[in-house]
Amino acid sequence: MDLVLNGEAYRLDGPATLAGLLRECQAEAGRTAVMVNGEVVRSSQYASVRLSEGDQVELIMIAAGG
Amino acid sequence: MTDGLKLGDRIFSSRLLLGTGKFSSTDAMIRAVRASGAELVTVALRRFHPGRPVDDVFGPLAALEGVTLVPNTSGARDAREAVRAAQLGRELAGSPFVKLEIHPNPHHLLPDPIETYEAAKILVQDGFFVLPYMPADPVLARRLEEIGCAAVMPLGAAIGSGQGLTTMSMLKLIIHEASVPVIVDAGLRSPSDAALTMEIGGDAVLVNSAIATAEDPELMAGAFAAAVKAGRDAWRAGLMPRSEAAAATSPLTAFLADEGAG
Repeated sequence: MDLVLNGEAYRLDGPATLAGLLRECQAEAGRTAVMVNGEVVRSSQYASVRLSEGDQVELIMIAAGG
Repeated sequence: MTDGLKLGDRIFSSRLLLGTGKFSSTDAMIRAVRASGAELVTVALRRFHPGRPVDDVFGPLAALEGVTLVPNTSGARDAREAVRAAQLGRELAGSPFVKLEIHPNPHHLLPDPIETYEAAKILVQDGFFVLPYMPADPVLARRLEEIGCAAVMPLGAAIGSGQGLTTMSMLKLIIHEASVPVIVDAGLRSPSDAALTMEIGGDAVLVNSAIATAEDPELMAGAFAAAVKAGRDAWRAGLMPRSEAAAATSPLTAFLADEGAG
């Protein structure tokens, strides 16, 4: 399935769920926040959110800042 | 705790909030956080890129006892983006606090008061303890207080400028009228800026660049912590009134003068 991940084309080979994408990206669930098509997904819903062709996904983490 | 800083439903003993940007390394940042005694520490958000090396800021900060992370909304250009950023930050930091900052112009980074107000309304309704970075405007401060912000954070000067308390007269008005804590954020350069903020009745300061870009950030963090405490103690103790004329501290009896001289 083709997604847009962080603004770039991304081919997801595994299961078409958010949890599957995070696993494939080796993104730790507790340290990665997710937006799908502009909507923030609560971390409790990662396993149940299914992804669709062309979905725009943003993976976000904590960084240093003032 | 006899003199706590109440924000939302929490009470903090430290009145120095620390930003984590601009440090030369995560290790230097962590040492400065420890030396500052800060209990509220701001962080930003960025994209996680699969396969690229990650500078883990979260892990070392989360391991510190007594530190609550305050995600900021830096990078948001309007209320809609700021609300999203706050929600993302909440998922990551597990904290109800958000430093709401919307500054669309990278040249001066001054906060957009209208978008900040709109975002604050939404975030308060969503259960956040909103700490809005704002222009030093007493009218806006009152409006942000009225909609339920946990504090107001007027700027001393432009972010990272080190110009100190350029907004002093407005800060005094805000402090005089506010019934939520006033946290002076941005522009502070020296510990004396922090002490002065506290002496005029400010409730706390948020410092980043002045500590992070010091030659010895750990030492500077301790200097700011001491200054904040000194200024707060001075305000609680009550500063003496100013007088145009001298007021002697020693008796002025004339016993040293020669009898009958001049």
